[in-house]
Amino acid sequence: MDQLASVLLDFPPAGGYADDEQYHRAAKSHSQDVAKLAVSQNFKAAAAQLLDHVHPAVNSISHLALLVSVGTTSSLPQPDFLAKVSVFLASFDARQIRYAGKNFSTVLDWLVRGGMFPASVAVELLTTALLRLDPTGSMLTSHHVALVNLAFTTDNVEPALPLLEKNVVFYPAAKAPQEGGAPSDLDLPPSAYITVESGLTKQLSSTEVLQYDLVRGLCFIQRRSWRQALDALERVITYPARDSHSCSKIMVEAHNKWILVGLLLDGKAPKLPATTAPGAQKVFAAIGKPYQAIGKAFEEKTGDNLKTEFESMGAQYFSEENNLNLMRLVLQHYQRWQILNLRQVYTKISLEQIRARTHNAETAALLATEAEIEQLVQQMIDEGMLSGVIERPADGPAYLTFHPPSEELSESEFAQKMLHTAQRLKDLEPLIKATNERLGTNRDYIKFLVGQQKREKEGRRDYDVSFLNQVEDEDLMTGVMGDF
Amino acid sequence: MASSLLAFFTVMDNQDGIIVRDPPKFDLDLYIQNYKGRTRFDRLFLIGRSSVPLCVDALKASIAEAKRGRDTQRYREAVECLRIAAPSDQDATFDQTWLETQEKANKAETNRLLTELKGYKNNLIKESIRMGHEDLGKHLESIGDLNAAAEAYSKMRPDVSTPKQFLDVGKHLVRVSIQRREWGMVSAHLSKMGGAQHAEEEKAVQPYLKIAQGIALLGQEKYKEAAQSFLLADSAVSASSYSELASQSDVASYGGLLALASMGRDELQHNVLDNAQFRTFLEQAPHIRRAVAQFVSGRYSACIAILESYRPDYLLDIYLQKHIATIYSQIRSKCIVQYLIPFSCVSMDTMNKAFGGPGQSIEDELADMIQSGALEARINTIDNLVTTKAANPRAQMQESALRVTENYERQALDRLRRMGLAAAELELKGGKKTGVGFAGDLLVDESLG
Repeated sequence: MDQLASVLLDFPPAGGYADDEQYHRAAKSHSQDVAKLAVSQNFKAAAAQLLDHVHPAVNSISHLALLVSVGTTSSLPQPDFLAKVSVFLASFDARQIRYAGKNFSTVLDWLVRGGMFPASVAVELLTTALLRLDPTGSMLTSHHVALVNLAFTTDNVEPALPLLEKNVVFYPAAKAPQEGGAPSDLDLPPSAYITVESGLTKQLSSTEVLQYDLVRGLCFIQRRSWRQALDALERVITYPARDSHSCSKIMVEAHNKWILVGLLLDGKAPKLPATTAPGAQKVFAAIGKPYQAIGKAFEEKTGDNLKTEFESMGAQYFSEENNLNLMRLVLQHYQRWQILNLRQVYTKISLEQIRARTHNAETAALLATEAEIEQLVQQMIDEGMLSGVIERPADGPAYLTFHPPSEELSESEFAQKMLHTAQRLKDLEPLIKATNERLGTNRDYIKFLVGQQKREKEGRRDYDVSFLNQVEDEDLMTGVMGDF
Repeated sequence: MASSLLAFFTVMDNQDGIIVRDPPKFDLDLYIQNYKGRTRFDRLFLIGRSSVPLCVDALKASIAEAKRGRDTQRYREAVECLRIAAPSDQDATFDQTWLETQEKANKAETNRLLTELKGYKNNLIKESIRMGHEDLGKHLESIGDLNAAAEAYSKMRPDVSTPKQFLDVGKHLVRVSIQRREWGMVSAHLSKMGGAQHAEEEKAVQPYLKIAQGIALLGQEKYKEAAQSFLLADSAVSASSYSELASQSDVASYGGLLALASMGRDELQHNVLDNAQFRTFLEQAPHIRRAVAQFVSGRYSACIAILESYRPDYLLDIYLQKHIATIYSQIRSKCIVQYLIPFSCVSMDTMNKAFGGPGQSIEDELADMIQSGALEARINTIDNLVTTKAANPRAQMQESALRVTENYERQALDRLRRMGLAAAELELKGGKKTGVGFAGDLLVDESLG
């Protein structure tokens, strides 16, 4: 057992390593040593005991191997084991875990499978662990997909929010990217060390990627964060396609929800982004028709059409599409947007006039009494949707005063905001650099580059390249051919 | 209204025709004297179909007009209408003998011209071939076969030899295209006619070209360009050179109304009132001159009142009819906008006095204008005030700067994501059979509380 302990505590040494290359070699050999030990009977027997001696934050690789061993053999009482797992996930050394991807994934998979922790704790632990591994949150892994499903289906969206709010720009590649330095380099982008080979993620399919964003959108819908929901769904509908005709059912589903969310957020139907794949555009136009009709009807002055559009498809239809609740919300919000739009025209308007001018889309009629309108307007003011106040003068009818929007920012406020945005843009720089490197080492691109260089060389032999370039811009047939 | 008239206008209403109940200010006989050619029938027939007070008179006049010509189809249409509107009138029955002889004569004439043309073609004399085509075109136009007429006229083109002939071809084609309401074609033919002419001939056809161009642009709803075209027409040339299109007072009305709808006060003063050329036209339509002058001097309600009193006249004009509602509402909203410019706050009562009719409030109209973005103002219905909103360039700048950066960030992220997907080779790949490749089924339920 002492022998085991000496191997387990061998890495990392107290003094640390001079450079990444040394660290890389030592970490690699250490994780191999531990893997060799882990299959031995000795190790399995002593794992539970050793767990107390190997510090989770210092000797993360070893501690993780022990945890996996204990977990598979169940040699520790459940509550103790769970406590160990949670301490580990909250405190491990992310740099070391880059070398123990397989074991790390095993532990995360336990959490997703359930049975160990209540779902809310599992979601929180997974979120913490994944964010410790990749603090930028810019890389999608198979655990992300599992996590978002877990969070959504068990109604535990909130603890997962820190992860869900990150912008994913990297995806695990089928082929590992070119070896560019040791994965222990702390400046590396996550795409360099979270790979299928490292075991930190499984290979993802386009369906899973689409699903991740769709479910993320649904999570935000559940929390009524319309802006974020719209962005997430927009990522699904603008998913790139290789050809001009493919479209996924997930994209159609996202498109339909996207329209409804857009109505709730902006009071008008969102415009399809220009980057939408042509095949998807066609399919959306054909299959998404009922939703587009609703989007159009929402912008009209009376609620009749909206009600008709809804009823012509029927509640059954929307319920089958899993959009009934969203749709009901859209109907409810129709009048709210009507009232809100009055702010473009009026500074003060009596409640009676509001009643006469805005329709309720659920009944396609005016509200019956001024009290109902007052209640609705008050609700909007309370929710922060409307900035204004209801006034009740003694000698006249009650009326609503819209507060003028505070348009102008002070110089310092504005500078603050600009600085903030500039910082956010600066934060994108490493991502751009990583993407550039990743694409620069792409095999197809290198092939293309080699081909181009070859052509250039040959070109120079036969004719002057600059001359050729010059000719390319003009009509080849006018006089040039004669000169050859 | 007699029951037959009522029936007639119900039919017209069902065909989405415009119906004018008020009597116009002009006299039908004097009005039609200003025109010649096929436009006479078109104008009479339109009045007959639209104006309640003039219906029978105009229809009878159009029947007489049709009978003077050779177009049997027009005759039939006019009589059909009169039969519904005034069944007991003596003109309301078909003159079968006239119809038959005329149709026979038309056929014989077509055949004669065709054989003649064949003969000319065999002789290979350019001038004769051109004239043969021209004769055939004129004949076909007069019997109402405009398609074939356009074709015959365009066949004249290869054989023209003098600038005058060149212009004639153009005029024929423009006239036919206007009758067919093909505004794009009118412009195309006109652009072919521009240039390459001698100054003298050009001068003689200048108003014809400008007026035709204006009518074509009006048809395409390009009001400002149309106004400019009308305003450039040369008044020194005799009205008879373009009376197959429009009269002098028409030119004044078209030009003046469109200018009112599309130009600002300075432009109006400069292009309309100070325009010596156009003044001659305006003399034929003094009310237009008055309306423009009132607008320029800021008496908007007077301007609108004048225009409103002439609304029935313009609704009975073949080119203006379809556009008059739009043009009037544009003029009206321009008046309102101009009216509000010097004020930061106006009481609703003053606005109503200036623009509202008896018993109708201007508030809804204002609300529509604000909503469509034509007017930057806010209404206060409690204190009955209209406050105009001053543009705040600083706030706009700040807003747009923030928006740009935000967009930039979004786009950058989106591109990075797409590149990431491309690098991971995760793009959506082709469906198996048809255009729609569905990948995967969906399993999530809605759980919006």
